[in-house]
Amino acid sequence: MNLQLLSTLLLAGVAALDATPVAQTFLSQPLVMGTLLGALWGDWRTAMQVAVVLQILAASTAPVGSRTPEDYAVGGVTGIGTALVLSAAHPFTIARDACAMIGVIVGLLAATLGASVLRWQRRRNEGLARWCEERLQMGDETALGAAQRAAVVLAFAAGVAYCAACMAAAVFGLQRLVTTESLWLARAWHLAQPLWLGLGLAQLLHAFVQRRLSRIAVFGGALIAAWLGYVVGTR
Amino acid sequence: MTERVTSRDLARMTARTSLLQATWNYERQQGLGWAYCFAPVLERLYPDAAVRRARLAEHTGYFNTQPTLASVALGAVAHLEEQRAAGVLPEDDGILRVKSMLGSALAAVGDRLFWFTLRPFAALLGVWLALDRPWLGALALLACYNAGHLTLRVRGVRWGYALGPEVLGAGLRGNLERTMRTLAGLGSGLVGITVAALLVPRGDPQSLPFQATLAAGIALGMITAQRARPSSTQWALGAGALCLAAAWFR
Repeated sequence: MNLQLLSTLLLAGVAALDATPVAQTFLSQPLVMGTLLGALWGDWRTAMQVAVVLQILAASTAPVGSRTPEDYAVGGVTGIGTALVLSAAHPFTIARDACAMIGVIVGLLAATLGASVLRWQRRRNEGLARWCEERLQMGDETALGAAQRAAVVLAFAAGVAYCAACMAAAVFGLQRLVTTESLWLARAWHLAQPLWLGLGLAQLLHAFVQRRLSRIAVFGGALIAAWLGYVVGTR
Repeated sequence: MTERVTSRDLARMTARTSLLQATWNYERQQGLGWAYCFAPVLERLYPDAAVRRARLAEHTGYFNTQPTLASVALGAVAHLEEQRAAGVLPEDDGILRVKSMLGSALAAVGDRLFWFTLRPFAALLGVWLALDRPWLGALALLACYNAGHLTLRVRGVRWGYALGPEVLGAGLRGNLERTMRTLAGLGSGLVGITVAALLVPRGDPQSLPFQATLAAGIALGMITAQRARPSSTQWALGAGALCLAAAWFR
């Protein structure tokens, strides 16, 4: 368990790096992190339940211009990790659904509050940029590389620390709730899961359609054809 | 005789583009990252340390664009910097003007292509496939996004260098616009397929409450998508709290 927890926190650091400072390859997306964490903890079902909901909601947030969007990279690992830690102690499906409910809520809260951590990092980078410019004026060209390295280390450390703090608070604070109120939480999960999925899918549909009737027709046609395909194809 | 930018310099610049946003900040945004990526070209063109430092300091100024397409701008500005070093382009702020213009133009196309089209499309493809096979979903998401992202990031520098500021002419811009329209059309269809896959997973219809709640979520999402605030995350948190309350009183 300790090794799994440590790996989860390291993945949070990797996600924090991939989200903005390094490469932006989408390794940080909740679906990818959910897949890795599901394999790590040996619980695909819980990991994917949380990851799919967070991924659908994350897809419609965009880091455009100087806007600091919700941090779904670290938030995703935090939510999925919390659900997996909680469900590790509960073998029953109802309790695991309760853990998924907690996982998504914790993930959403961590992503929302994570925007403040990102803003803090970006303000620290202003200081780093000024230091770098001073060093450049003094003739030290290696300052550019040093500033990049410092910013990468800061982003990794902030991702790990923030994920650790959120997971510790969530696991210690909500462990008892999952044990005593799993039925209530599982019932809430069965209501919330389709509502969240629908909310996220509508945001994506809105982004794609852009008020064009032809694309609405494509959506409707694909929905009916796929529905028929699923129903008829499996009989 | 002045030096010319070599293939190795362009490769070094390409490798550094991964760190373009490492020092992103509210003052200069990608400015410092841009200078870091651009340093190999300046090292080649200006052997005199004082001149090179002055050019490097100039390139740390404000810059911001869509990070993938920044490669194209880096290549195009390297082309201009080479001309300046050779004395063909005497004006210093001519380069800065072109850099700023390229940044704005690439952001206008890149934000729409990457953040509002390719990102949701790749995520949706991943989710749809993950409903059956989680590994396949994650792999599809990574492959779909990086097919565009890494191709443009790796080849963008060379395109920009070869064509200079004309790189954003009708050719590249037209291709990006066409890709965007195609992906948006396919994405609309993929939303329909994903909704069907959620309603009838593996051919077995979901329960009526699930179908009704999914429909309610879509209706709520279509209404909330008309406004930027509250964000979809805030709406999702509100919906979660509502479901907890409803389950408590049920």
